[in-house]
Amino acid sequence: MIRVVMPAHLRTLARISGEVTLEVSGAVTQRSVLDALEERYPVLRGTIRDHATKQRRPFIRFFACEEDRSLDPPDEPLPAAVVSGKEPFLVVGAIAGG
Amino acid sequence: MPEVALEGQESLKASRVLCVGAGGLGSPVALYLAAAGVGTLGIVDFDVVDSTNLQRQIIHTSADVGRPKVESAAEKVRAINPHVEVESFKTSLSSDNALEIVSGFDIIVDGTDNFATRYLVNDACVLSGKTYVYASVFRFEGQATVFAAPDGPCYRCLYPEPPPPGMVPSCAEGGVLGVLPGLLGVIQATEAIKLILGSGTSLVGRLLLVDALEMSFREVKLRKNPDCPVCGEDPTLHELIDYEEFCGTRGEERVESSGIPEIQPEELHARLDKGDDILLLDVREQHEREICRLPGQFIPLGDLPERVHELDSSRLIVAYCKVGARSAKAVELLRRIGYRRVYNLAGGINAWAERVDPSLPRY
Repeated sequence: MIRVVMPAHLRTLARISGEVTLEVSGAVTQRSVLDALEERYPVLRGTIRDHATKQRRPFIRFFACEEDRSLDPPDEPLPAAVVSGKEPFLVVGAIAGG
Repeated sequence: MPEVALEGQESLKASRVLCVGAGGLGSPVALYLAAAGVGTLGIVDFDVVDSTNLQRQIIHTSADVGRPKVESAAEKVRAINPHVEVESFKTSLSSDNALEIVSGFDIIVDGTDNFATRYLVNDACVLSGKTYVYASVFRFEGQATVFAAPDGPCYRCLYPEPPPPGMVPSCAEGGVLGVLPGLLGVIQATEAIKLILGSGTSLVGRLLLVDALEMSFREVKLRKNPDCPVCGEDPTLHELIDYEEFCGTRGEERVESSGIPEIQPEELHARLDKGDDILLLDVREQHEREICRLPGQFIPLGDLPERVHELDSSRLIVAYCKVGARSAKAVELLRRIGYRRVYNLAGGINAWAERVDPSLPRY
């Protein structure tokens, strides 16, 4: 079970509260986690990754186990702690309120 | 405290801190820095105090409504510590004045509320070699860090580009828990004081993620981007640019409605008084309707695609929300699918309350 934490505006868009738990078959990578997330919540397509290129949008970052994974290759396996559900996969977005 | 002592207090007295914005974040920053004994406190803000600010902008009171924020803030700072030298800048920080204003201070604390000014503050800090104490808030969540290029990452290393206008709601649209900017502002003030004292471990290279609803504090590491256009190995940005152009905005709310046919509150009022057949469409959420509403139809923006058939396309429709951004999206959607007589209420129900019916509460 993979845990995903998303920013507030994306949770609102997907009409969810709290973190999301996903079943991911096969290798647990950024790509497979985000594919599973978008399959469960199609409204999120285009918000985290570009619709066409599937590249991370520049105002979104990915973190796992405190490390910035944003620039990692999308098919690189995520840390074991994320795979086991001990740690969440964080999707962090730019906010500007003050 | 031995960590501060006389030497630390003298460092605070000699320090010059610029607070960009005297709003939700800027309020606790200015109050605590004044109380701590910072020698010179600069405050930049173009705005005046509005009653809707008071739920979070605690440096202002109801008696200050209508006053320039810099004036109100300076007064409170002096009331706490009359020995603080306050430098007020009643202006918008812009590409024309940012480098000059920033140059007079050691540490810049960002209490702004939009992406364009945040990129401007970042670039001005990098180009001037100033430390940039950052925080931002939305709804129940906040982020805080210290950007200290060239050694540490800058704001552009974290977010190279802003979200397209409308993709991330502003606090005006999405709301913010009143105490949240207080929480994040206190973190900013703490970081500024630590930097002045040279004590502890600053948030440079670390992003603090605060979730007030869960009351959780997560910390993640930030990496410097070697390709950063302003602080990278081969920077391409050597001067300030047009940040509203860069962000694709002319103010987040205004941008939302750019190109969307609008009707001003006064004109709508006149036409309704004249007896014109106008359907007012409220696209806000139910909890907002409980605060105030206009007579008409209610379909939240998120439900509109599925419920569009409920609207009578033969009538003139004026969509409204709180300040006009969500209703602009509704108008765009309706026009795209063939509704021709659809307009956006400029400034939303808040503008209506301000300019037509002051008996309605604003929020």
